[in-house]
Order: sequence, then structure tokens, then C-alpha cells
Amino acid sequence: MTLIFAVFTFLIAPFLLPGLINKSKALWAGRHGAPIWQPGYDFLKLLRKGQVISKTTSFAFRLAPSVNLAAVILAALIIPMPQQTALLNFPGDFVLFAYALGLARFLLVAAAMDTGSSFEGMGAAREMTFASIVEPAFFMLIGTLALMTRQSSLSAIVANLDDGAGFAMLVKSLGTIVLFIMLLVEGSRGPVDDPNTHLELTMIHEVMILDYSGPDLAFMQYAASLKMVVITTLLANLLIPAGIGPAGAALLFLALFMLVAVGIAGTESLIARLRMSHVPQFIFLMSALALTAFAVVMFFRNGVLR
Amino acid sequence: MNHLIIGILLFFAGGMGELFVGQKIKGRLFLCGAALAQLFILPTAFSVLLDGQTQSLVVPFPFPIGRALLLMDGLAAFFLLIISLGGLLAAIYSIGYMKMNYKNPVSALGAYYFFLGFLTVSMLLVVLVQNALLFIIVWELMSLASFFLVSFDNDKAKVHRASLYYFIAMQFGAALLIAAFSWASLLTGDMNFASFALLSGIDNSKTVILFLLFFIGFGVKAGFIPMHTWLPLAHPAAPSAVSALMSGIMIKTGIYGILRIILIIGIPAPWLAYLVFGVGWVSGILGVMNAIAQHDLKRLLAYHSIENIGIIGIGIGMGMIGRISGNAFLSLAGFTGAILHVFNHFTFKSLLFYAAGAIYSQTHTRNIEKLGGLQHAMPVTAALFLLASLAICGLPPLNGFISEFAVYIGAAKGLAAAQMATNLASLVCLTGLAFIGIMATICFTKVFGIIFQGNSRTSAEHHPKEVSGWFLTPMFVLGGLILVIGLGIPLVLPLVESVVRPFAADPESFVVLQKIYWQATHGLWILTGLILFFILLRFLLLRNRSVSVFKTWDCGYQASDPRLQYTASSFASNFMALVKLAVPQNQKLESPQGYFPTMAGYESHSDDIVERWFVRPLIDFLQRFFNLFSWIQSGRTQQYILYGLIFLIILIIWIIGVR
Repeated sequence: MTLIFAVFTFLIAPFLLPGLINKSKALWAGRHGAPIWQPGYDFLKLLRKGQVISKTTSFAFRLAPSVNLAAVILAALIIPMPQQTALLNFPGDFVLFAYALGLARFLLVAAAMDTGSSFEGMGAAREMTFASIVEPAFFMLIGTLALMTRQSSLSAIVANLDDGAGFAMLVKSLGTIVLFIMLLVEGSRGPVDDPNTHLELTMIHEVMILDYSGPDLAFMQYAASLKMVVITTLLANLLIPAGIGPAGAALLFLALFMLVAVGIAGTESLIARLRMSHVPQFIFLMSALALTAFAVVMFFRNGVLR
Repeated sequence: MNHLIIGILLFFAGGMGELFVGQKIKGRLFLCGAALAQLFILPTAFSVLLDGQTQSLVVPFPFPIGRALLLMDGLAAFFLLIISLGGLLAAIYSIGYMKMNYKNPVSALGAYYFFLGFLTVSMLLVVLVQNALLFIIVWELMSLASFFLVSFDNDKAKVHRASLYYFIAMQFGAALLIAAFSWASLLTGDMNFASFALLSGIDNSKTVILFLLFFIGFGVKAGFIPMHTWLPLAHPAAPSAVSALMSGIMIKTGIYGILRIILIIGIPAPWLAYLVFGVGWVSGILGVMNAIAQHDLKRLLAYHSIENIGIIGIGIGMGMIGRISGNAFLSLAGFTGAILHVFNHFTFKSLLFYAAGAIYSQTHTRNIEKLGGLQHAMPVTAALFLLASLAICGLPPLNGFISEFAVYIGAAKGLAAAQMATNLASLVCLTGLAFIGIMATICFTKVFGIIFQGNSRTSAEHHPKEVSGWFLTPMFVLGGLILVIGLGIPLVLPLVESVVRPFAADPESFVVLQKIYWQATHGLWILTGLILFFILLRFLLLRNRSVSVFKTWDCGYQASDPRLQYTASSFASNFMALVKLAVPQNQKLESPQGYFPTMAGYESHSDDIVERWFVRPLIDFLQRFFNLFSWIQSGRTQQYILYGLIFLIILIIWIIGVR
């Protein structure tokens, strides 16, 4: 079972997720769209190519794709698959998870700044600003779940989510919304970012990897996709009930995975990208919901409400 | 213990001896003393850390002091290690850095090395001395020596002002400490620290006030907000080796003081634990927020020192909360995190200040808006700066992650505790540390991106070159420490056990902590392995392919210019707009007037709200208050003679009256 999940996470899902999103967006818009496996073909094609590097850049630009990919894979090893224990699990492992993504972000931004392009600088500044709201909210959410389950590692937290009383459902649904917004921000999807635009001024993630080509671009795109898969997995973990059995959990996971892809496509098709100055307000929703979840747990735990 | 005294004397001898030799060998002679001293100090400190046996020496002093105890326990040995090592690195670095001052007759190089030795010696003594009066003496010597070092360039008005500000701030802290120590001695009837333990039996409200006095007094040195205002002034003013020594080590003597006080008088009231935690939390967040707004590299690093002292404060606070709520693991994790962070902050912050000095020596500016593209001229400095930047942001697999991780685990376990207050503090701690971490990342991507990456923003008057081995050696040593502690923490952890034991004596929790560290280290090793693997894979993939070099994609705009690059202010502006309540931006706009405008201008600078709304009004109030008495010193001789006369009359009346 672990092997199947591993193959799915690392080899299938990072190509399936963007493929599914693009396909459903195309269908929303009444087009046929590219084949679902197009991101996979692109990846293989890029790996076989040579590349062009900017003369302004130095080691950070060359190092970033490898470090970025390694860090996201480490993060993936910490997230438990449904009803499984993660390869790496120890008290406080969610800190390593968040900080591994932080390392990836640092190098991504450093690589963008390395080119000396003002467009990439702009993307980098936006990425960091939005991350500064996401990060504390994520810790607030995980802290709330830890408080509810009295556990301190991600694997143990998601395994014990159903032990709580009736308020567990409320907390889980709040958590799902928080993680979905996090997925939109970290995955650079609409309404935060517009991955399909042709104007560099309005991009965030795409503009930061503007100068990459060939295998480096393949690494960067794969890492970005894997990051979305990882957050999706965490989100699915919140929703899969404990007593469903391994096969049922796997099927439910697959269904949730597709639902998330369709959900992202729907969000992007229905909502236009927000004005840059309004994006923080949207992301602050994460903090507000996480704080609400925390308040719910605190009140119920300590007998203020029943 | 005798070895230790020899080591301290060697540092002092180096500082004295160089006064008698020529300009160019002063530094080398001082370095000899510092290097020899290591042979005596390091083995002693390590032996105490390894076997946990304390060493002590009783020195009989003449009358007011009496028999004074020099004690080297785990805590003292740990700080001795940092101070001694830091002193050596500063000695090496100074040889390279001070070459700028050879031609300048006003800069007294001899005095510089003398006070450098003096500062190191006094810091070594501060952590050893166990007698209140002697402690105050060496504490003041330390402030004095550092004052002279800060005012090294005092022919510049700004430096002169900054060093005086620093001196006054130190005296304010010392005044509180003197008051606290004298009161404690009065209450217990003895000036040795050991007898202060009796305080816990005395009236609790008095002990609380004592604790507060000590906390504020030591907090001024450490740089906790709101006692931090001297840091952003003094660090840019001082030569870089001194900034590194002060920021990396000297401010930690304040932390040492707080830790020592907790050891001696304990935690007199539970709310003090939350106070320490809160002050640390605020320092961490406001420190790094202000850092993002800075353009002067060393001022920015100074604000980061406040942030890191804040993280240490959060660790100590969590440890104290664990102790008062009987949560042994939280207590252990908090104190371990704080103590590890003391060392780790020494490594990366010293490295960053040394790198800042290297940049200054090549470009003669500290304004990051004027720099850019330095990585091509100074690749080694750039790589080491990146390493330290990653470490200070707390990113794995480096040492900054290690120490913050301890506090994080403590908080994660604190969430499982039964007490509501502990839960709340733990969540505040988690969120705060995460916020601090991400803001540090904003700041250092900005600093690294603007200084080292892209293209040079100004036409180079000076042609920067890679700095010499004198600069790079200390940086390499520190970089090595960053990697070793990051990747080998399970092996380093036993060294701090004897430091933490007096704070949280719980061997069982220590085993648990060690086990968690092992598991986390596996993650860090996997990360390192993966990074190496992908670098190799990338190399293999590109080996026989065409890799061409071309200019950066400019989105079709052909007339690109280095001045079009993103600046530090524009990089930070998105974020600063979010936090404008905490770090207000003052803007001044002279908009162009008329049909043929000749003049236009715009400037903006950030405000430190604590300084603006708390410290500045306080200073103004004190100034106005003391001005009420300024008539006493009028400058007229007649008036002074009158004072003498009045004094004599009072004396006569008193003698006659009493007899």
C-alpha cells in the first residue's frame, strides 16, 4: 500500500493534478483542451533539452532547482498518506515540513533575484509578502489540530482526528477551507495568481521562473506541482474518516484528489484574479478561520461551551 | 581552573603587549595571545561541559569585596567557550579589517587592540564571578571597553553621538543592576551569589521586584524591546569586528545574567514567566519587522540581533512556563532551545557582520541600495553570506533550525498539556516563531538579492575584489560550525546537557528530546542527500548538452539598465504596507511644480514605534526634569564658593548639634 501511494505521489499525481485542472478549465470554457497527460509529456521533453542561462546569474540560480526539488520531496515524506504513517514522523515534524517548504521558497526567490530582472523581483516580493500571511496561519491551524488531538506529529494528528467530540467536524471543515486557500496561494492558482496570463507584470510564480529552461525548468515545475500534491494530500487526510479501511481510504483519497483539481479549476474559471493589493485580504481569511478553529477547540476543551 | 586564569591573562597580555610594537605587527601579536589563550581556556571549558563537574576558585580580595568565588559550572563554561572562540575570531579578522586604518594617524590602532583584549577579558570574567560587587566592577569594565571600541571612529559626528548614546544606555542598565545587587546583598547580608538563594525564603513581593530589576538591567544589555534602542545606533558605528563581537557575544552576557538570576532566585511569581515570554515575543516580531525596513546593512543586522534575542527570550519564557506549570519536557525544550540559540546566533550573526565588514572594506558603503552584483567580484563572501542567511532564517539543514526546533517541539508538546494557559502560550509561541521565521526570510532574500545578485546599481568608483584570508578564515570557521551543528546535532546535544540540567533536571525528558533530535536529523540528512543527488543529476543531464549564456529575458524591452532593477525598498514595500501600523513609513514628497518643473524629490524612512512613542518621550521627560536643576551648575565661580560655604556651615551646625 505504501509503495502504491509513493508511486502515485511522486510519479503520477504531480502530472495528473495540473493536467486535470487544465482539462476541466478547458471544459468549463467549452474547449477540448490539451490531453490530461500533457504536463507529463512537457516534463520529459524539458529533461531532454539543453538550456540558456542569464549572464547576470551565479550559483544561487544554478543551485535553486536542485535544492527546491529536494526540499519539496522532504516535505512530501513528512505528510502521511491516508491511514498510513509517514516515512518521517516525530513530535514537531510539521515544523520541518513548513521549514522545508520555506527553504524551497528562499531558493526560488534568490534565483529570481539573481537574474536582476525587475519583473522577477516583483514576483519575488509578492511571493514573500503572501507567504508571510500563510505561514503563521498554517502553524495556527496545525497547532489547533494538535491541541484537539493532544498529539504533536502530523501522522499522529491525522490518525486521531476523530477522537474528538462533536466539534471535531466543525474544526475539520474550517481546516479544510484553510488548507484549500493555502493550496491556492502556495500553488500560485487563481484568484491569487494567474498561471495562464501572458503579461509578466501580473504573474507571481511563473514570472519567478521566467529565466529557467530545460532540465532546470523541469525541476522547478515538478517541484511546484509536487507541493500542490502534498498540500492536497494533507487536506484529504482531514476529510477521510478513520473507520473506512485501507481500500476505501485509497478510493476516497482519489476522489478527493480529483475533486480538489476540479475545485481549483472551478475557482479559476468563476473568479477573476484579485487586484494585487486585495490578495492579502483574501489570504487573511486563512488566519481568521484558523483562529476561529482555535477558539472552538479552546472553548469546548475547557468546558466553556458544550 | 588555574589554566583558565592563565588563558585570561594571555588575552590581557596580548592586549598590553601590542602597545609596544609597530603598527603592522600589533594585530599579529594580539592574535598570538588570543590563540595561545585558547589552548588553556577551551580544554577546561570542554571538560566541564563533558563531565559536568564544576570547578571553582576562591580569591581573597581586600576589604570591600572580601572572599570572592570564581565558579565554572556548565552555564559559565558554555559562555566561556563562545567568548573565547569569538575573541580569537575577532583577533584574526581585525588584522585584515584594520589595514584600512594604517595610514590614518588619528585612529589609534594600539588602543583598539588594547580595548579588544580588555573587552574579551572582562566578558570572560563576567561569566565567572560569583560576587555581587566584583560582578558590577567587571560588568562596568565590559561596558567601558566596548564603549571605547564603538567610538573608534569618533572623528565622525554620527559615531561620536552613537557611542555616547550607547554609554548612557549601558549606565542606565548598570544603575538598575547596582540597585538590585545592593538590595539583594542587604536582604541576605552577604554579597556572594550563593547566599542570594536565601532570597526565596524572604518576602515574595520583594523578590518579584528584585527579579524585575535584574530582568530590565540585564535586558538593556541583551537588547530586549523596549530597551533595545542603543543597538541600531551602536552596531553601525563600531568597526565590523567589534559589531560581530558585540552582537554575537556581548549582548549574550545579558542573557547569561537573566539565566543566572533564574538559577539563583528562581521564578518568584508565575506571571514573570509570561512576562519574559511576552517581551521575547514582541522583541522577535518587532525586531525583524524593523529590520526589513532598513537600508543600512549593519543597522539591519542590529535589528536582527534584537529579533534573535527575542527568540532566545521566547525559549527562556517557554522554559519558565514549563517550570511553573510542572511540565518538565516543555521546561527542558525551552531552555535547551534558548541555550542552543545563544551559540547558533553567535555563529551566523558574527559571520554576517564579518561579511558586512568585508563588503564595506571593498565598496566603502553600507547602503544596500547602492550595491548589487557583488557575487561576481566576491564569490566566496557571497556563498558564506548565503549560508549564514539561510541559517538565520532558521531553515534546515542548518543550525538556526536546530535551536528554533527545540522551542517548537516544546510548544507542540505544550499544546498537549492540561493547563489552558500553557496551551495558549504554546500556540502564541508557534505562530510567533513562524511569523518571525518568514519575516526573516523576507529580509534576507532582500539583503542577499540586492547586495550580491543582479547588476551593480552604481558605477563602481572602487573595484571590489574578493577579500583576503584574514577576512575569510573566521568566516569559514563560523560557516563550518553552522553546518556541523546543523547536521550533527545529536552529537553536539550532550555538550549542552550539563548547561541545561540546573534549569530542568529531568534526565527522562532529555532522552526524549535527544530521540526527537535523532529523528529530525534523519530528515536533515535525507534533505542533504537529496540536494546532492539532484545537483549530480542536473550535472549529468547537462553534461553533453548545449548550455548557452545570454542576457536576462527582459520581456521584449531592449533598453534595459541596471537602474531598472528592483530595489530593496521596492522589494520590501509590499510587506511594509501590510505592517504599516507596527512600522510606520514617513514619506516626504516634493512633487514637481509648474509647466517646467526643475525640482522634485521623494524620500521615505521607517519609524521605530517603540523608540518614537516610548523611549523618546521618556528621554525627553528626563531631560526636562533634570533641566530643572541645571541652575545648580551655572559656571560662576562665586556661586560654587557659596556652595562650599553653605556646606561648611551645615557641617559646623551638624557637628555642634550632634556633639
